[in-house]
Amino acid sequence: MAAMEIHFTLNGQPVAVQAEPDEMLLEVLRRELGLRSVRETCGLGICGACTALLNGQPISTCILLAPLAEGCEITTVEGLGGHHPVQRAFEEVQAFQCGYCTPGMILTIKALLEEQPAPDEETIRRALGGNLCRCGCYLKIVQAAQRAAALLAEERRRQPGPGAAPVS
Amino acid sequence: MSRAMPEPGENTHRTEPDPRVTGAIRYAQDVELPDMLYACIVRSPYAHARVLRVDTSSLPADVVALTPDDVRALGLYGCQIKDQQVLAVERALYIGDPVAAVAAASPRAAREAAELIEVDYEELPAVFDAVEAMQPGAPLLHEDLAISDNDAAYFGMRPEPQRNVCHHFRIRHGDIEQGFAEADVIVEETYRTPSAQHVPMEPHACLARWTADGRLEVWTGTQTPFNLRMDLAGIFGLPQERIRIIAPPMGGAFGSKTFVRYEAIVACLARKAGRPVKLVLRRDEEWLTLNRHPSTIHVKLGARRDGTLVAKQVTCWANTGAYADCGPGVAQKMGFASPGPYRIPHVWVDSYCVYTNLPSNGAFRGYGATQAVWASERTMDLLAERLGLDPLELRLKNVLVDGDRYCTGEVMHDVHFADCLKAVAGQIGWHEGRRGKGLAVLLKGMQTPSRASIVVEANDDGSYTVHCATAEMGQGAWRAIRMLAAEQLGVPVERVHFPVPDTDIVPYDTRTTSSRSTYMMGRALVEAVRQLKENGELGYGECVNEGGLDPDTGQGIASTHWHQGAAAAEVRVDEETGKLEVVHLHTAIYAGRVVNPPAAQLQNEGSMIMGLGSALFEEITFAEGQVTNANLSDYNIPAADDLPRITYDLIERPGAEIHGLGETALPPVPAAIGNALFSLGIHVRDLPLTPERVLEASERRRVRSAAPV
Repeated sequence: MAAMEIHFTLNGQPVAVQAEPDEMLLEVLRRELGLRSVRETCGLGICGACTALLNGQPISTCILLAPLAEGCEITTVEGLGGHHPVQRAFEEVQAFQCGYCTPGMILTIKALLEEQPAPDEETIRRALGGNLCRCGCYLKIVQAAQRAAALLAEERRRQPGPGAAPVS
Repeated sequence: MSRAMPEPGENTHRTEPDPRVTGAIRYAQDVELPDMLYACIVRSPYAHARVLRVDTSSLPADVVALTPDDVRALGLYGCQIKDQQVLAVERALYIGDPVAAVAAASPRAAREAAELIEVDYEELPAVFDAVEAMQPGAPLLHEDLAISDNDAAYFGMRPEPQRNVCHHFRIRHGDIEQGFAEADVIVEETYRTPSAQHVPMEPHACLARWTADGRLEVWTGTQTPFNLRMDLAGIFGLPQERIRIIAPPMGGAFGSKTFVRYEAIVACLARKAGRPVKLVLRRDEEWLTLNRHPSTIHVKLGARRDGTLVAKQVTCWANTGAYADCGPGVAQKMGFASPGPYRIPHVWVDSYCVYTNLPSNGAFRGYGATQAVWASERTMDLLAERLGLDPLELRLKNVLVDGDRYCTGEVMHDVHFADCLKAVAGQIGWHEGRRGKGLAVLLKGMQTPSRASIVVEANDDGSYTVHCATAEMGQGAWRAIRMLAAEQLGVPVERVHFPVPDTDIVPYDTRTTSSRSTYMMGRALVEAVRQLKENGELGYGECVNEGGLDPDTGQGIASTHWHQGAAAAEVRVDEETGKLEVVHLHTAIYAGRVVNPPAAQLQNEGSMIMGLGSALFEEITFAEGQVTNANLSDYNIPAADDLPRITYDLIERPGAEIHGLGETALPPVPAAIGNALFSLGIHVRDLPLTPERVLEASERRRVRSAAPV
């Protein structure tokens, strides 16, 4: 199969990469762009270890054909910089063991908190249904999500702006 | 004394973000070398077949193939029994047994090339059940069973190849016939537990290269760098020093990344190609690599009318699959965990490790105890019911206390089984009503004998480096050892470095298994730091625990250090559908002294959650030896929205020594849930507790109670 060039925005930067038409975005992100935070576990879109945000929504890159990312905004955990409130919350709570699922968990929680700034525990657990952690860190991951919600709320209070409008 | 959950914000003062939250951590699967090729394995589609011909003539010229002829002359290997060759040379022994391999320029090219290899087989009769495999006339898997010279073969083994047995472990304590003659009541039952998959999030991954001067270098996710090096030395006929194992952190392991997995195949491909070769397994191949031993366990337990235990006879059949791996060790630990933490004057145990035509089974978090505790602790509740006693009181009456002798003859010390039981009973509301509630207690041995050694070096910038073979798989051992070193050196933990273990640099360690590392390395560290403080430069320390059991009598020292815990569960059952809901799960683990509270909590929570999966739904299904659920859609593992209320106590005592707790909470969880079901009159013998099994047991109870007396 002939390789094709695809274009998208990755962590805020425009990129152009070569991909086979039947390749999944996960392979392209790892091979062509050197990203290691997106990881394959199930290969079926079930476990969430390969999670990236596509136009802000969590997706499984292991089942997204790379050409479908054309023109989209893709965010991986590398794009969060290391001190994003959700990352800080994970560190504070120590909500990880081996760390393999952690980037996917962080992105899923980031997307959740953008939609629902103060989710209850039940909502968080349900939102994490597509992110598996075999080390079994779920109790602390839920705590980290709650802590991240608090950190984000604090940030909004400190920096009032258009993003700080209360959600009705 | 229980430790409460930490407040968020406690315990982190680092400046650099943790590489696990930035994605910067590099696992074995991320290691790359220039010019490397990618491997793919060709596997047997038959459960038992003679390999007649491997034809690679259709392969493109730039693909390197490894066939039986390439490996025929290499040494046999196996960490406990030497029963394996690098590929299946004469006979393939399970569906998935590697018969050939390829290395190509990309993973895709390798997958495509693997499909071009043609293999001719002659199918042979196969056997899948351990009890059947021991019967006369069953197909025999291995003709000769040589005991391994690897130091993982640390106890006497009793192979009987003419009936597919690679080890028969016995405990002979007291006089079993006399014991049952003294009993007023005897209960007897047979239990089964299924195979399960570790499902580490990161699959097995390894990369090998040969240096210009003929040394073999391997980067691999492994819990056992030195055992791996020993077996590779035997395979290639090299001195161990000519082999270098580098063990990056793993994205989970749970026992699966132990001993030789694919490192030998990749090393052969790299030698033939003259280039580095890397293999990352596809997810479905994990089910063909290493699983948990399915077990059949028969328990006969006798007691006096007042509940005093007098005799226990246990027979275990541990199905180890096609190759022994560390199955003999698992069967032995299953054997000496099965009497349970009780004073019983007469105990006989026969534990068989049995070959069948299934994928190999090996170390799995819990290491034989999960199976043993299921059978043993379910039987305690059968006995309690028969005697009309409270299951908690029955246990407390018989449980081992300091100074008691276990059935192995060793005197128990620092044991807290009663405390663990009382803690879980209290937290589950045992005394407010027992309906829908169950509990279970566990004792689990730590690797005995073993040796840990460690070097601490002072750096010019005032920091320190710890050289240590302990593997990091998420359990937090590297951080715990750094914290212990920092505490003893009187510096912040950030000033203690822990480089990725490299067998060219780190001193010997038995392996990172059986929840031994923080305890053993922590003790070795004391001497290393003392020496360093003396000379200001370098210190070496080691910790040796000695012991072992006579395989024919089970007498000796099973463990120098016992892992102890208990679990309690509260359940609800929908008797129309058989759906079992766990409402609350509580465990109490004896921790001695906790080094790193968040990591200890995570290990305990993770053990409980994995135990919940084993209790409720995890089961590898087979059809004539073919795994039928080798994916995460059909094989479910617990997710965040599957969890009941989970609480626990990590019991500490002032001045106590460190107790490993990486797997203590797992084994009692299924038994506690099974006993909670039994309190409702629903007796399920086999794991997992699926709605079908619960419904069937519930129907059985109705039929029984409806029958005329």
